[in-house]
Amino acid sequence: MNKTPHPTNTSPKPHHGTLTSYVTGFVLSLVFTLIPYYLVVNKSLRGDALLATIIGFAIVQLVIQVVFFLHLGREKKPRWNLLFLISTVSLIVLVVGASIWIMRHLHYNMMPGDVTNKVANDEAVHQVSGLQAGTCPGGTGTIYKVELKNDVASPRHTNAHLCDILIIMNLDDTTRDIEFGVHAKHETYAGEFGGALRPHYSRMITLTELGTHKFHDHLEDKMTGDFTVTP
Amino acid sequence: MVKEHETENHEAQADDRVAFGFWVYLMTDLLMFAVLFATFAVLRGNTFGGPALRELFSLPLALTETLILLTSSFTAGLGMLAVRRGSKNQVLTWFGITFLLGLAFLGFELKEFAEFIHEGHTWQSSASLSSFFTLVGTHGLHITSGLLWMGTTLVFIWKRGLNSHLVRKLTLLSLFWHFLDIVWIFIFTVVYLMAYV
Repeated sequence: MNKTPHPTNTSPKPHHGTLTSYVTGFVLSLVFTLIPYYLVVNKSLRGDALLATIIGFAIVQLVIQVVFFLHLGREKKPRWNLLFLISTVSLIVLVVGASIWIMRHLHYNMMPGDVTNKVANDEAVHQVSGLQAGTCPGGTGTIYKVELKNDVASPRHTNAHLCDILIIMNLDDTTRDIEFGVHAKHETYAGEFGGALRPHYSRMITLTELGTHKFHDHLEDKMTGDFTVTP
Repeated sequence: MVKEHETENHEAQADDRVAFGFWVYLMTDLLMFAVLFATFAVLRGNTFGGPALRELFSLPLALTETLILLTSSFTAGLGMLAVRRGSKNQVLTWFGITFLLGLAFLGFELKEFAEFIHEGHTWQSSASLSSFFTLVGTHGLHITSGLLWMGTTLVFIWKRGLNSHLVRKLTLLSLFWHFLDIVWIFIFTVVYLMAYV
């Protein structure tokens, strides 16, 4: 009998696909790469909806690759490869999911800001570091709110007195980077730096530095506002 | 006739065992990547006063890398089809293309790293950048070792032809390559796309 160098079709071997399966897999994975990319670039979705969508696309992409490139469903029984993959994926979900979950809780309960704020409140000290750091021994005054919605700060301008409080609230579904000063020329206000403001979170600033001060969103610099502090 | 059949069966079983052993290695490697992903997910916001990762990234570059790697996974698949047909020249062509695409991917990755470092954003700058360089760099090292493996195997095939030993090597190599492609899909999603959410 002529023996051919390549494997004969006596037993169905694993990991072998057909041209159709490779082409299908390739086209599908291109589609499932480009869609989330354009969703992110065009900002057609935002916040949690975008997050859920791109993770969903990655998981579909994983299934496409496993089925069309690794051909896992087609091995002979018992399907040790598939079983091993499933157990590994379960372990990964546990390791990654639990780490993120635990660290997020730890993060929020032990954020340096929280500790500082607690000490400051206990000691009636309001800005802890700063250029012109001052205290408000008589307590704080009126609370002013600035709402950030649809990339607009309302009110755009706030008039306040020393030791009043300004609360900047982010009502949009996107994380902002609120900085003091004008775009690309950041300043500090009463020793406070700007920073990330997550969706539906707010930031409280005790007004202990006089004068008119601007703030803006570093990631969407048309979003600006200012406040004037008088004695 | 019967004997021939038996040895073939034997060889097939041995091949299956080797492939399964390699699969076990890939799964443990996947676990290691999972830990690096978890580390990145936890640390990615800790920029130590530096710019957020999304201000450093170039999304078109990340997309280019993804498309290159996806295509190389596809050409590796076509290479395996050529292995089944027993056509040495086609095997060399398809895996040669895969090799060049892998090299291009690595080039783009190193270009990105070099730009980061040139702008002063090294892996020592912040926890965020450490976890970024570790995760993406580990994948890059896997690609590098995959390329070395592919290069030497192709040279052997070119000199000695397609024997069963080299065919087995190529089978495992293509598994490894598809695996790296899947890991990259998650790097593209978790590291690059999610930075813009």
